[in-house]
Amino acid sequence: MKQSIKLVVLIALSTGLQSVRGADDDLLEVYVVNYTLQYFASRITGGHARVEFPAPRDSDPVFWKPSIATINDYQKADLILLNGAGYAKWLSGATLPRAKLVNTSSAFSDRYIKIGGEATHSHGPSGSHSHTGTAFTTWLDFQQAILQARAIAEELVSKRAGLKDTFEHQLDLLERELLAIDSELMEIGEKTPGIPLVASHPVYQYLARRYGLNLRSVQWEPREAPTDEQWAELVGILDAHPARWMIWESEPTKETQERLAMLGIESLVFNPGANVPESGDWLDLMRENVDNLKQIL
Amino acid sequence: MIKITDLDFVYPHGEFRLMVPDFNIKRSEKVAVIGPSGSGKTTLLNLIAGITVPKHGTVEVDEVTVSRLEDRHRRAFRITRIGFVFQDFALLDYLNVLDNILHPYRITRALELSRSVRQRASVLAETMGIADKLKRPVGELSQGEKQRTAICRALLPDPSLILADEATGNLDPDNKSRILDLLFECVDAHRATLLAVTHDHELLARFDRVIDFQGFRGGVAE
Amino acid sequence: MSDSLYLAWRYIGFNRWKTLTLMACITLITVLPLTLQVLLTETERQMLARAASTPLVVGAGGSALDLMMSTLYFGRDVPELINMSDSEEIWETGLADAIPLYVRFRARDYPIVGTTLDYFDFRGLGFAAGRPLAVLGECVLGAEAARRLELEPGDSLVSSPDNLFDLAGVYPLKMSVAGVLKRTYSADDLAVFVDLKTAWIIEGLGHGHGDVARDGDTSVVLERSEDNVVANASLVQYTEITKANIDSFHFHGEPENYPISAVIALPHDAKSSAILRGRFLESLVTAQIVVPFEVIGALMQNIFRIKNVLDAVIVVVGLATVLAIALVFALSLRLRQREIQTIFKLGCQRATIAHLLAAEIILILFASGVLCVGILLIVDHYSADLVRLVFVN
Repeated sequence: MKQSIKLVVLIALSTGLQSVRGADDDLLEVYVVNYTLQYFASRITGGHARVEFPAPRDSDPVFWKPSIATINDYQKADLILLNGAGYAKWLSGATLPRAKLVNTSSAFSDRYIKIGGEATHSHGPSGSHSHTGTAFTTWLDFQQAILQARAIAEELVSKRAGLKDTFEHQLDLLERELLAIDSELMEIGEKTPGIPLVASHPVYQYLARRYGLNLRSVQWEPREAPTDEQWAELVGILDAHPARWMIWESEPTKETQERLAMLGIESLVFNPGANVPESGDWLDLMRENVDNLKQIL
Repeated sequence: MIKITDLDFVYPHGEFRLMVPDFNIKRSEKVAVIGPSGSGKTTLLNLIAGITVPKHGTVEVDEVTVSRLEDRHRRAFRITRIGFVFQDFALLDYLNVLDNILHPYRITRALELSRSVRQRASVLAETMGIADKLKRPVGELSQGEKQRTAICRALLPDPSLILADEATGNLDPDNKSRILDLLFECVDAHRATLLAVTHDHELLARFDRVIDFQGFRGGVAE
Repeated sequence: MSDSLYLAWRYIGFNRWKTLTLMACITLITVLPLTLQVLLTETERQMLARAASTPLVVGAGGSALDLMMSTLYFGRDVPELINMSDSEEIWETGLADAIPLYVRFRARDYPIVGTTLDYFDFRGLGFAAGRPLAVLGECVLGAEAARRLELEPGDSLVSSPDNLFDLAGVYPLKMSVAGVLKRTYSADDLAVFVDLKTAWIIEGLGHGHGDVARDGDTSVVLERSEDNVVANASLVQYTEITKANIDSFHFHGEPENYPISAVIALPHDAKSSAILRGRFLESLVTAQIVVPFEVIGALMQNIFRIKNVLDAVIVVVGLATVLAIALVFALSLRLRQREIQTIFKLGCQRATIAHLLAAEIILILFASGVLCVGILLIVDHYSADLVRLVFVN
């Protein structure tokens, strides 16, 4: 609730209360595949669209499987914003109208990071999944995030040419904020050249590439105790890659942290922002991520 | 009723000539005309009815000089004032008895088919003993019944003259007599004149007068 | 005249066989060319309407007509194939929206049309039952296909094997019926629509886990081990995409190289259309871009040429029939000589005889006319179905 109010206030403030909301009939219906895109689209539309992200809060949007009814809702939308790079595995088995699909990362699709040779595993109630193929957290390279935001804005303008000025203004504001974060992360990267880091999950490829982080990944879950094999794997990695920090998507269990501490590893959280956070909005989350990452300095 | 004076008639191709210097029939008379085949009996009937017109002479029927009328007036005169009875009945097989009786009223504007006419038709049929057969197709009737139907048709317009051309020719002896009785009855009831061409010598005695046509060809005979 | 009509009515009723024969002749000779005209007009309308509503079609080089027959009418003959990349290239030009079609397989003799959801919006296809395609392995049936197959949403339909003797070839896919379309009186009524990816799975480009043997049916089992069952030839083999196994389905190779039979291109405006056509003409690739209206229009012209021949034949036959009818009336007049002589003697008007004959002709013509109108109204009412039955089916 707090986060929603914050979002509304932010939108109202940034537009200077100058946007006039049209009748409900004129509202664009936009469906997205992750929270990042929902945030971007909501910021840019400035209230002139209904931006829906139906995945449950506790689900991983990459591996979430919508129901048939939800797929039908996607089909009826005016725009369907995709992340690209193989994000949202359910798309390969679903039928969506091509005319409404927007691959927000197509501008840099030639620079997708291919991944492979990672171990498959099974975990938790959502079943097993694999991180082979293409790295998909494209927005963690904030230059790429800007390109994704621009792609969204371009499509919105094509649908509502009359609101071009509004959309471009909103995009401009968002871009500045993304640039600011990009700068801070660049600074962190420059100040920590080659420092070995470990990621609990292989979702930081673009972050590592853009900001020059020396990162190796395992495939652990924050709320699950790693197995002996997984600990052994980590130890093996540390032999050649003596990391002092492990980056997590969310706060790991105390037990895991303690055992990591025994290996001389501290934990920090860098939430990729794929789903809606407990509190705050996406930008709050990223700023928090930056602050957390500064610990490695 | 009928008065013919100096009649000279030749068919278009000139194969037959009929000359009748003088011929008279009184009103309400029942006259039989006899003569050999080809003597001109039917031609005489046609001249009297106005079906054909003579080259010379006059034919007067009911004080109307028919021979001087225009064709359409002759047709109107014929259908309103003269009733025909034919040897072969000349009924239409696609009409029932009543429609055959009413037939003259459907082929000319000179006669108007009204309710009273239909009622008269029923009465005539009753008189002729065919009232129960009015809705029957004529094909189902006996020879005698057909001729009675034909007589009803001839009498319905209440003509002043009945021309019967061998009216009993196709009937058996019993029917001949009965039909002639009925015809005479109706003619008397309607106060009409009857001119009948016949070969039946047994019936001649019942007529008022018999005219032998043998002498008419090229001359006068009575 | 009313008396003449009455007498004529009685006459033709009495001579009913002659009357019916005359009516049949007149009706046939009148209805035949008019029916042909109605049906051909409807054919032209349907074929041209479908062609006219399809701006551009891209396909492999070769017979443009074959390409049209496959793309517009889902004909049996599979044209030479192109790649999915051709469709994506059209999208990328920004000049047109592209709707790929893959019409190759059949399900119980009905064409399986692999396409995208955009096709349904493009053709304005609404749903009589169920819903649109949502996931792999689903199909949506045309109205007539659903009726003949007696299928409704929730039922299953198995695709037909490509080649009964090719054991290494395409296995039939058991598809789940998601929806049934409203009747459109077009080739869409007889089609089985699937997602393009489903069509590729039928082809074998996509694989997944599926049940091969029926439980408890030992007669179809050739060999059974702990983790494998080999079926004998008596088993109808199919793959089926279910909730449990859908995640296991994957495709090999690059999707842009996957085959399609054609692309329907929807240019944004006339200028875009011209530019797009120009690009294809200049291009060195063997693909062609075709305006369906021009191709089908040319076909229609050929049909009309045949119609001219048919018209000429009908005219000659019609003349002969009119002469025969005139002869019948003349003979009828002769048969009625006695009647004519009688009414003449009775003293009918001069025009009566003409009225009687005219009344007879009028009544017969009127009855034939009513019959003609009735037949034509029925033909016109069902012309869409008749045309589809004869030409589209």
